[in-house]
Amino acid sequence: MEEQSNPVYKDQAYGQYRELFYTYGPDGKFEKNVGFHDESDRVTLQQAWDLFNDRIEEARQKVKAGKASPILYYMEKTLVTPMDLSMHSGIMVWRVKRHLKPKVFSRLSEKTLNKYAVAFNITVDQLKNVE
Amino acid sequence: MEKDTIMIDYKHRQAGHCESGATSNLFNFYGIEMSEPMAFGIGNGLYFSYLPFLKLQYAPMLSFRNLPNTVFHRSMKYLGVDATVIKKFSDQKSSMDALDRNLEKGIPTGMQVGVFNLTFFPPEYRMHYNMHNIVAYGKEGNHYWVSDTVMEFPQKISYEDLQRVRWAKGAFAPKGKMYWINTVKQDLDIRSAVEKGIKKTVYEMIKIPFPLIGVKGIHWLAKDLKKWPKKHGNETTSFYLGQIIRMSEDFGTGGAGFRYIYGAFLKEAGEKFNHPELLAASSMMGNAANHWREFTYIGARNCKNRSKPEEDYGKLGDMLHKIADLEKEVYVKLGKIKI
Repeated sequence: MEEQSNPVYKDQAYGQYRELFYTYGPDGKFEKNVGFHDESDRVTLQQAWDLFNDRIEEARQKVKAGKASPILYYMEKTLVTPMDLSMHSGIMVWRVKRHLKPKVFSRLSEKTLNKYAVAFNITVDQLKNVE
Repeated sequence: MEKDTIMIDYKHRQAGHCESGATSNLFNFYGIEMSEPMAFGIGNGLYFSYLPFLKLQYAPMLSFRNLPNTVFHRSMKYLGVDATVIKKFSDQKSSMDALDRNLEKGIPTGMQVGVFNLTFFPPEYRMHYNMHNIVAYGKEGNHYWVSDTVMEFPQKISYEDLQRVRWAKGAFAPKGKMYWINTVKQDLDIRSAVEKGIKKTVYEMIKIPFPLIGVKGIHWLAKDLKKWPKKHGNETTSFYLGQIIRMSEDFGTGGAGFRYIYGAFLKEAGEKFNHPELLAASSMMGNAANHWREFTYIGARNCKNRSKPEEDYGKLGDMLHKIADLEKEVYVKLGKIKI
């Protein structure tokens, strides 16, 4: 029934889950409805993920061209800033920023690489090789 | 020897807000009929804060909900229920052992988790947001059964994944926080709890002497929204506006920044105590919530570049000012009510 009232839902990448919404009608009643997000919510989600995906793609190109280290790519992919990554991995911010340079990254020790790998929830091999 | 399968007879009900949903479900497990809006209202779920100096996913941070664990903690305190909250554990293993012990005793246990690595969560919402709440109520081999009130059905999560989300890092890190109810008296004094809850919410929304919290925060946000196009350019402003709308509609799944749920709470309390003033306040709150929703509709149109020229950021800022005024009326009214 909800699917009929949301005909655009199937074509959208987002909003595949039904959630509970409250509404207030003109008769002064608060009602609970289970349904999909309507279009205005999806627009903003789409907007945000478009931006994130652009940033990820940009980072990938940079890494491929040798202008940045794979950390930048994984940082964008997991939606974190150097500040967050520093909190996640326990490495100081200025060091994280320095490790974004490919030259510095290539000299990193296994121990530091492992810290990053744990923070990104991947293996060290994946960290070294951006697909 | 541990039992392989533990299953507590816990009823999962979907809710609009993760923590108040978990709280009301826990109450129901102990035989107290409590709706989600009631738990939300007593536990001061309603809030507004705008923190432009913090960034969440590249846009200024704002929150329509209170700090994590406020709803559970305050509703237990105001109702005088014997509950336990363990704020943090020293290491990851002991937090999982404590959960196992609780499940063996047959206690459904709530936990604060981060959503980024939550495997069953809709992928589009997986951001670094550490204020989510789930309740574990069963164990099957290496998997746990958890009730996430945002989802329609109970979910299964593996030991490693659960440990990871309970120890998510970053701002408001959960550090394995968990909470549960020990015993509940059957005759709870709901009336005084409602009174305390309303009083505290009124304080938090209009009386805190800090300009970024409560109604003042909405005014500040409105002023900033008008300045953004000049300061950051149209594209960034559109993204920042998207963040406001996402926070109010998508992250707060109840819609309109939980204002609907609070209105439902006022209505329920008003009907319960036969209190016309509360009912009047509830319809004012519903009206304010409808204004929030109108704001998000027009804002979303703006994000999609389909807006009419008169619906620009200046208009949206004015709408926010109006919402702030409407909400303030409600809180001033609530502040004068004796229950």
